[in-house]
Amino acid sequence: MSAASRPARPEAPVVPVLEVEAVTFTYPGTRAGVFGVDLRIHAGELLAVIGASGCGKSTLLRLIAGFLVPDRGAIRIEGRDMTGVPPRERQLGVVFQSYALFPHMTARENVAYPLKVRDVAHAERRRQALAALDLVGLGALADTRPGQLSGGQQQRVALARALVFRPRALLLDEPLSALDAARRVEMRDEIRRLQREHGIATLHITHDQEEALSMADRVAMMRDGRVEQIGSPRDLYDRPASRAVAGFVGHANLWDAVVAGPTAVTTPLGRLHTEPHGLETGKTVAVLVRPERVRAGPGAGGVNVFRGRLRRDRFLGAVRRFDLEVPGGVITGETGERGEVEAVHVPPAHVQLLPGPSAAAPAAQPTT
Amino acid sequence: MTWITVGYLVYLFAPMVLLVVGSLGDAWFNTLLPTGVSGRWYQAVVQDGSFRRAFWVSLEVSAATCVVATAVGLPLAYAVYRAASRGVRAAARIVYLLPIAVPPLVLAFGFVLVFSSDQLPFLGSLWVLIGGHVVLTLPYLLQTLVGDMRHLRLAELEVAAESLGASFRSRFLDVVLPSLRHSLASGLIMVAALSIGEFQLSNLVAGFLTRPYPVVLLQAFYGATGFACAATVILLALALLAAVAAGLTAHGTRVTHGLSA
Repeated sequence: MSAASRPARPEAPVVPVLEVEAVTFTYPGTRAGVFGVDLRIHAGELLAVIGASGCGKSTLLRLIAGFLVPDRGAIRIEGRDMTGVPPRERQLGVVFQSYALFPHMTARENVAYPLKVRDVAHAERRRQALAALDLVGLGALADTRPGQLSGGQQQRVALARALVFRPRALLLDEPLSALDAARRVEMRDEIRRLQREHGIATLHITHDQEEALSMADRVAMMRDGRVEQIGSPRDLYDRPASRAVAGFVGHANLWDAVVAGPTAVTTPLGRLHTEPHGLETGKTVAVLVRPERVRAGPGAGGVNVFRGRLRRDRFLGAVRRFDLEVPGGVITGETGERGEVEAVHVPPAHVQLLPGPSAAAPAAQPTT
Repeated sequence: MTWITVGYLVYLFAPMVLLVVGSLGDAWFNTLLPTGVSGRWYQAVVQDGSFRRAFWVSLEVSAATCVVATAVGLPLAYAVYRAASRGVRAAARIVYLLPIAVPPLVLAFGFVLVFSSDQLPFLGSLWVLIGGHVVLTLPYLLQTLVGDMRHLRLAELEVAAESLGASFRSRFLDVVLPSLRHSLASGLIMVAALSIGEFQLSNLVAGFLTRPYPVVLLQAFYGATGFACAATVILLALALLAAVAAGLTAHGTRVTHGLSA
């Protein structure tokens, strides 16, 4: 297959490849589903959807693929409404969590299958299947059955099979969750490379926020069937829209707080100085401090200094991630220093204020 | 442990060995082993018209049972497997496993009552016999197929095939059938063997001209020992033959499909 037939990064077209508009779906007899989801994926873009299990991200994929039918809203592929279009006519390459390779077919027969059902001639589909397997580095194993392949190799066959018929978009349903940690990181790069080479719009479903941040052009976080925030990986990490996003993406110190003045908030740990925030005094907010922003030692200025006892100390190589037990709570920080930690300080510029917690919010605890 | 195994194997195979020995002996009266070697008992069985007919009836019934059981069992197993709710699946399982729990005799009496009425005077016909065998053997085939579908996660494979563009027909021929060929083969081996050896129901619902082999075999025990032994050995061979044939036929599905990608 000629991967270069489509440019990897065309000018942003007017019509997105994949468009989900106000889609609502409820599983019959339950309250689970997705509610009012809006998403757009442009040509060549990789959008990762993250969220805890049960947040509706796999449901969203099944709706786009056509295995489920929305109660309300529309799904469009290249501008065309998909209502009433069965999955097999949607021309979407789907990679399943379990790979779903056909056990009685060899790797080549598996990859050739979508061409076979499209009535491509035998010799031609054989050639294309072999080329697709070569592209994922499995040309030598073309005549092997899935049972004889490792997890990573099966994953590659599944990818080749999903791409060989030049689908309009690629849907990946937790494609790496069945692999061991080392293989997972390797396959992230592999998937990204294939996706770039094909210039194909891709929806990547995962519960692994690190995977999403490292691979995606944009990330959508879902929670309870709704999209909580969509943005670049950096946006989600640096400017989370809510406490939930801040807690899910990366490590975080999160506390409930009340605005105490133009540059201060009151937390269970005491008063924290901030940059001027413009919020009115008395308003409830959530305070976010990323562990890498917490500085070991009391610091020079004497602002936002907390003394306490080290409760946990995790050595991670380049840094240590420690939990310091201070009056009123725990502060998680990171440091490259090897010495004792008895106090920390938080520069006011790194104290972020997020919309306040709901009345029933859990007690302040750092989320890891 | 070894002795228990040896003892069990002797217990298992001694009667079969004795049957073969007896069938080849010339005469066997009040001795530990028969005297003389002869093929006359086999000759006698082969020349016996009722045994010859029963042999073919048994093969026919067994083959037809396999065909009908496949035609009914495959879609039924698929439906049970894909049933929407857990409750429906559980209920279906209980219903289709019922024939195992009910003694064949009870089933046979039911057949006698229904098919000897004026409206349905079919008792003694080959089709009633085949129908009975299907009812008795279907649970075993369904159990094997549904178990294998679950084990293979067939629903996922089908969803994948659908996303790749396969129609229902393609999915069935390219994915469902070839995936199930092993379990279909082992299921049909069981169906064929059970059908060949079935006595209780056959004895009650078979007509004089549609008596299958085991029913006719009963008569042999009133005659010479050698004749009875030879007739029984033939039944044994018949059961093996039917099982092998059923297994090979089911496996044949892969020759026609699957290898063509």
